[in-house]
Amino acid sequence: MAVITDDLAPSPGRRFSLATAIRRNPTIAFGGVLLALLIVMAVFAPLFATHDPFKLSPVNRLRPPSERWWFGSDQFGRDVFSRTIYGARVSLIVGLSVAIISSVLGLALGLACGYFKRIDSIVMRIMDGLMAIPSILLAIALITLARPGLGIVIVAIIVPEVPRVVRVVRAVVLSIRGQPYIESAIAGGTKNLKLLLRHVLPNTLAPLIVQSTYVCASGMLIEASLSFLGAGVPLEVPSWGNIISQGKTFFQIAPWTILIPGAFLAVTVLAVNLLGDGLRDRLDPRLARRL
Amino acid sequence: MSAILEVRDLHTQFDTLDGVVRAVDGVSFDVARGETLGIVGESGCGKSVTALSILRLIPPETGRIAQGSIRFEGTELTALGEEEMKGLRGHRISMIFQEPMTSLNPVLTVGTQIAENVVRHMGVPWSAARERAREMLDLVRIADARRRLDEYPHQLSGGMRQRVMIAMALSCDPQVLIADEPTTALDVTIQAQILDLMIELKEKTGTAIVLITHDLGVVAETTERVVVMYAGRKVEEAPVEALFDNPLHPYTRGLMRAIPRLDVEADAAGTRPRLQEIPGLVPILTRPIVGCAFAARCELATDRCRATPPPFVDAGGGHTVACWEVTL
Amino acid sequence: MTAYIVRRLFATLPVMAVVALFVFFLLRLAPGDPAAIIAGEDATSEAIAAVRAKLGLDRPLVEQFVVWLWALLQGDMGVSIFSNLPVTRLMAQRVEPTIALTLSTLFVAVSLAIPIGVVAAWKARKLVDRLVMGFAVLGFAMPVFVLAYVLIYFFAVQWQLLPVQGYQPLSAGLWPFAESLILPSVALGVTYMALIARITRASMLEVLQQDYIRTANAKGLATDRVLLLHALKNASVPIVTVIGIGIALLISGVVITETVFNIPGLGRLTVDAVLKRDYPIVQGLILVFAAAKVIVNLIIDISYAFLDPRIRY
Repeated sequence: MAVITDDLAPSPGRRFSLATAIRRNPTIAFGGVLLALLIVMAVFAPLFATHDPFKLSPVNRLRPPSERWWFGSDQFGRDVFSRTIYGARVSLIVGLSVAIISSVLGLALGLACGYFKRIDSIVMRIMDGLMAIPSILLAIALITLARPGLGIVIVAIIVPEVPRVVRVVRAVVLSIRGQPYIESAIAGGTKNLKLLLRHVLPNTLAPLIVQSTYVCASGMLIEASLSFLGAGVPLEVPSWGNIISQGKTFFQIAPWTILIPGAFLAVTVLAVNLLGDGLRDRLDPRLARRL
Repeated sequence: MSAILEVRDLHTQFDTLDGVVRAVDGVSFDVARGETLGIVGESGCGKSVTALSILRLIPPETGRIAQGSIRFEGTELTALGEEEMKGLRGHRISMIFQEPMTSLNPVLTVGTQIAENVVRHMGVPWSAARERAREMLDLVRIADARRRLDEYPHQLSGGMRQRVMIAMALSCDPQVLIADEPTTALDVTIQAQILDLMIELKEKTGTAIVLITHDLGVVAETTERVVVMYAGRKVEEAPVEALFDNPLHPYTRGLMRAIPRLDVEADAAGTRPRLQEIPGLVPILTRPIVGCAFAARCELATDRCRATPPPFVDAGGGHTVACWEVTL
Repeated sequence: MTAYIVRRLFATLPVMAVVALFVFFLLRLAPGDPAAIIAGEDATSEAIAAVRAKLGLDRPLVEQFVVWLWALLQGDMGVSIFSNLPVTRLMAQRVEPTIALTLSTLFVAVSLAIPIGVVAAWKARKLVDRLVMGFAVLGFAMPVFVLAYVLIYFFAVQWQLLPVQGYQPLSAGLWPFAESLILPSVALGVTYMALIARITRASMLEVLQQDYIRTANAKGLATDRVLLLHALKNASVPIVTVIGIGIALLISGVVITETVFNIPGLGRLTVDAVLKRDYPIVQGLILVFAAAKVIVNLIIDISYAFLDPRIRY
């Protein structure tokens, strides 16, 4: 794992220039702008929506895309465009909360593992076990145990994602522990906690940020997959996975009910991944060269 | 002696973020059949690039031979297609590199790496090539050659690996062997063994050697003729005795003063005269050099030196030098 | 070598033990009454009691665990709550399509992705490379089920080249069998391919800068020998590692692909069991999938020793 040094340090002499930043790193800019647009769309969904996303209208079942139904309508006559716009809310809420909570939990566990041998052997055993279970399967198993709802979906996605974060953080801590300046700090009698906060935490941030973008993308994909399988957020919530799942039956005559929310999902995941790739290139050059 | 390799006015350039680097800037020399030619100079003077240029191994994404001619047995190499060039490499002209630790492929056995060269160029079956590989290991005096064939590079010492490199390079009886700092990475005692081995094999096979080094001691012991390079240019060329007896270029003289000498008597206090280093820095190769490349560091430099590049002057006996201020 | 393999084999035991513990306690320690959870929201108290008795949930936890583990070690994963059939038999009936799908995807993805990655590294920063990287980035963002429907829409609905859904066993003939696997394998394989192509390219780029590649070129070796033997063999350890990491991705994808294409495999069994809260089946499937992943990783660990002679075992 790379140890980040001067690249992240604030340099008072260098003024930030947007144009240079974009030229240097078009992936961050592109991913970031795309994601920002999606967030605006999600937050102001009621302003963008042309219809009530929940309103059933049996007369207008399975209408193809037209001026009135931009993305067509589904088998209940609901407007696919408005539902898709609202669906961004679910994806983004799940993606962001999974990323943030997994990062915090992963950071805490990873630091503990990197520092305390006794915790390490137990926690890493558990993490290895969790990682052996494919994530969708693990999430599905967790969901079977509770009433369907957004909260349990988020929890069920976090559980398989946390071990990935733990491994990244732990690897950084272990590599930093071997550095001469940390050894000298230990020799100088620095307390463990102080050492963690002062020397180790800043170095874990860059890989953690990069990893959290991938966790976010993965979280959105798992949520959509779970909803698609019928084991995700409650059916009445217009999430992209649910819209696609409900479009299954009429796919051959009304492909827009699946292809359009599917495209939105793919673009959102793409935006987050691009942001992650760009951040990795910027923050973690050694890792970037390897991938 | 007829020249087997003729390099004329070679210019090799690289594109970098700071502009075009003229790594080799108009170098000419001949290599005679069976002779040992030394190319000497500080690191970054263009000696390795010259070697890679001869084999056309300059990475095409960043570098190119911009100008000049390289003739091998009368064939113009700069005009040759890549496939024909591949037929020459490792066969008629072969090369060994500075780092025996990293120059051998870690995941292939020594035997495979020697034999594949033979299969490629001699068109013999693998069994025969393997036999040839064993002969070559015997030739470079690796004990228990048959067993070593099936070993991987990490199982060998540095000196042994360089022997393997030599065995590989000579496996197809090349006319020219280019050795780029072949002993720099090795211990002093091993260095001498490897150099002796190279000379002995040269006598046996008649392969001409181009020995690239920054070490004048190595040059004195092994070569017959020497080309001195500075900042991508040749500054002096001479038979080895002539160069050591009578170095003409101020840069060559500077290099000689920088060699530790055992033949100079220590004074009463037990100290030998201090080694002199050449003051100043090597010029930046992204800027075109007007005049003599060494002018900025030369104590004899005049305005003429700084304005016009000096022509080669013939000092007789194959000794030429490019310097305005030289007195013959 | 044998000692190394045995040691690696033993190293998988704690992982499987954690998976088994997890699977067992997941239900028992879940908030609320597990029997009520399984019986469903509108279950009568008799139905809940029946489930409780059937799963032995009324016994002490330790006793439950010992009984369960003892049965598991003898290959007994319990019976389905709904069909009363043994879980192992239900899985055995469904295993063939899943193995066929996984192997064909693995084969297609690996045999395409590695050459693509090698070419991209060889032609780094040229058009081919940019196309490959573009494909890799897009492929990695593409949800399996979305891609599956796009493929069905074009290849099955519009152009009618391939069947929309369904699975034909090998016994129905080679072509029907292969035909029914093409679209599912592509849909499942694209993300995996993107992952492998990307690591192949990165690993090859690093290797191509090494001194021994210069040596190989100085020997005048043919380009394919330099790329495919000298470079690829050195680049293989990270590639094989990612192939192993991707197995998890593949297994997760199998669950979705089988649902989209209506393939009666273990993935479909999983979804059906989850929707019916047939917990013994879910338990068994998690154990089987986790074991599959652990075994693949074991094979990969062992393969390192063959790929790189410097790795000691």
